[in-house]
Formats: sequence, C-alpha cells, structure tokens
Amino acid sequence: MTRAFVTGLGAITPIGLTAHDFWENLVAGVSGAGTITRFDTTNMPVTIATEVKGFEAGNYMDSKGARRMSRFAQFAVAAAQLAADDAKLTLADDERRRAASAIATGSGGAIDTMEEVLVLNEKGPARVSPFYIPIMAPNMGACQVSMHLGLRGPALASVAACASGLYSYMEAKQLIDSGRADVVLAGGTEAALHPLPIAALANMKALSRRNDEPTRASRPFDRDRDGFVFGEGAVVMVIESEARAMARNAKIYAELAGGGLSCDAFHITAPREDGSGAEDAMREALDSAGLQPEDIDYIAAHGTGTPLNDVSETRAVKAAFGDHAYKLALSSPKSMVGHLLGGAGAVGALAAVLAVHHDIIPPTINLENPDPECDLDYTPLKSRSTQVRAAAANGFGFGGQNGSVIFRKYRP
Amino acid sequence: MATVFERVKEVVVKQLKVSPDEVTPTANLVDDLRADSLDIVDLTIAIEEAFSEDAEFEIRDEDAENIHTVQDILDFLATQGLE
Repeated sequence: MTRAFVTGLGAITPIGLTAHDFWENLVAGVSGAGTITRFDTTNMPVTIATEVKGFEAGNYMDSKGARRMSRFAQFAVAAAQLAADDAKLTLADDERRRAASAIATGSGGAIDTMEEVLVLNEKGPARVSPFYIPIMAPNMGACQVSMHLGLRGPALASVAACASGLYSYMEAKQLIDSGRADVVLAGGTEAALHPLPIAALANMKALSRRNDEPTRASRPFDRDRDGFVFGEGAVVMVIESEARAMARNAKIYAELAGGGLSCDAFHITAPREDGSGAEDAMREALDSAGLQPEDIDYIAAHGTGTPLNDVSETRAVKAAFGDHAYKLALSSPKSMVGHLLGGAGAVGALAAVLAVHHDIIPPTINLENPDPECDLDYTPLKSRSTQVRAAAANGFGFGGQNGSVIFRKYRP
Repeated sequence: MATVFERVKEVVVKQLKVSPDEVTPTANLVDDLRADSLDIVDLTIAIEEAFSEDAEFEIRDEDAENIHTVQDILDFLATQGLE
C-alpha cells in the first residue's frame, strides 16, 4: 500500500476564491454570510446565505465550455484548475489513464431543473434546451473536471448529501491504495442557491432565521443557534501517490492518512441521538490511519449550527475519542463559510489539511454562550497557534450518511 | 432598426461564443464557427426566440438539416417572410 499525499489546493468559497484567501479569512474569523443578492427574497422566510462573490467562470475555462456547465460544475472546474496549478501538475499522455477525478455533490444542477421546468411549462417542449441533461446531471462535476484536465481514469461522483465531499477523499485514497491511480483530483461542489431549496429547508426548520444579522447567524455549538446558513462553493485537492509526489519533488501539504464511512440506518433527517453512526465513522478513520485518539489534535467538525447536529456530534466525538475528546480542539468552518452541502465535507477537509500544514486551529465564530450539552473545546471566537500533528474532518448527511477523514503531517 | 443579418449575427455570437468578425454569410457553423450537433439545436431554438415577435414559426428537424451556414439561416428566415 502506498501513501497518499495532498499536493495541491483549490477553493471557490464564500470567504475566498483561492485556498490561500480561504485560509486567511478562516483564521481571521471572517464570515461570508450576507443578504441574498442572487434572487428576490420577497416573502422568503430566510433571506441570508453565504454566496460566492466575484466568480467569473471565464477566468478558469473558455466561455463556450462554461455555457455548457451548471454553476456547480463551473465551481468544480475552477477549483480543480487552481489545485492543479498549485500542485504544478503536468500529465504526460501515458499518465492520463492513471489520473482520476472524484467530485461529489449534493444536488448537481438542481437549479437548472427548476429553470428548465419553467421553460417547458411556459414555452413548450420545443424550447427546452438540448443542453439540459448534460448540464444538470450530478456526475458532471467529475466529468467536466476530467475533461478540463484530461484525466482518463475513473471519474467518480458520490452523492451523499452533506457528507459528499468526504466520500471523495475516501475514493481518492482507495484509488491510490489499490494502485489504480497515481493522482486524483478530489473534492466536493454545490451551487443550489435558489428559492426552492431555501424555502424547503426553511420549512424544515433547518436554516437560521437571523435575517437581520447575517454574519452572526451561523453559530455552531452556541446556546442560541437556530440552524445553518445555506451556502455554495467548491473545494478540490490534488491527491497523489507517494511515489509520484516524490519522483517530481512535489510540495506536500499533508498525508491523507485514512477515513471511515457509515450510515445511521435510522431517519431521513435526524442523526442518531447518541451519535453512534458518526462515532463508527470516526473510529474507522482512526483505525484505517493506524492512529490512536491521542494522535488527533484537531477536528474540523460538521458543526452545522442546528440544534440536533451539534449535540449529537459532541456525543459522537466523546464516544470515539474518550477522555482525549476534552483535550483536542474542534471548530466549525461553517460558522464562517456557511453550509456548502455537497461541498461542505471538502471545506472541512481543506480546513484540516491547512491546520496540519500551518499548525493553526481556525476558530468557531459566534460561539458566545456555549450550549451546556456542547462542552468540548470548539476554539471559540479566536484562532489558536498550536502543534497539529493530525486532524480529522467530519461530515454527516441527511439520510444518515457519515464520513470522517484524517490528514496527518508529512513524515519522510 | 437592425437588419435580419445583424440580428442573426448577434444570436450566433452569443450562442456559439464566437467573435462578430467570424459571422459572415458564408461561415459554416460546424467548420468555421466550431458548433457541434447540440449547439445547432440550441442555436435554432435561440433563433426562434429572437424572432418570435416578428413571425410565428418553428425550425423543424427537417429544416435544421438544411442549415449549414449563416446564409442558410437567412434563407430559412426569408421563407418565413423575414428579410
């Protein structure tokens, strides 16, 4: 079994259009939330989101190609290009069949379905776009990344709700462990900012209604949390085999050491109250990485800021890590980035990688009055410099899918 | 008032992401303007939309088969009374 290394980072997020800017803002505690600008929010119960601002698809791909992609795929291609540039990745023709993509999403081009249904109803079938299917399909994040970068190995596109991004890193690790691929562009993407999903999630009581204070709305583990803030964006990383990374003397951010996946097999939206599904994923992640609980210094928590998740996740961390749960640091990137749904797991993974790389724990902003049931160290309000030998990223999705992935500091 | 050619040119530029200079009457949609089969379907829909207030017509599949160049689009529109 070969080791898998993170050698390039790309991010299109509400707090930065590069991994560098994302990290600067994450460490500084900058919120990406604001009043929704993309559509008219009249009569909407929730009027805030974390939008990606200033994104021009033409800066990353040709404009004709961009027109044939949904926004979720544009984000993925842009983040993949940034990651490939960061890694200084070049592929000879004979390497392309051993180069893969794993780009997960929660809902793919659902927004295009919403728009095209209007065309069908109002103008009739003759006016429906011939591009609708290849634009909307959720596999297109992966396929467009493979097309853009010429990756001719497997193109995988897990659909695992809010755990999606973590599935990609598991797939990348398996592709490299098994020897099937030498390099994998892996991550998650989502762009579903539209009144329909926001209305539905608001009616589920999943979203914060702190409309007058957008930057204070996402407050994971706080006593006064009232739901998550809907977001969009993508993170893609270059995951490379040890042999390939060494041969070209690549910059190594961290080792992708292991991960675990499980399903609650319990309820369509609620997690198991004791967190035992999430616990299983974290235990498996530790086992597969060959690490003990004491080896983990940081967890990029799922930390959505919904009343149920944060308590259940806290219980799961205690169950998986025992006494060490009180010694390690956690934080929720969602307090700043919002919830990128299918992109969220990859955002957490990026926070974990950069925490390991820089020895800095980013904060959980807005954690002013901790919930008594959330009694771990969530790094409230301010970032902290401390050694981070290894870090986990958690993600749990509707349907009960759980993922936990571990990154550790590079050792020769 | 823009001519039919000018209006067609505007649609072709927007749909195929080509430069206006390339859109001459003799330009072949596939060979010169790099359209594929999906682009041509998309282009015919866009032409219908663009001229929908001038005339009620539909570019049927058999009509689209005869459209290879920008001039072919203009010739089709002429049959609909748009010149």
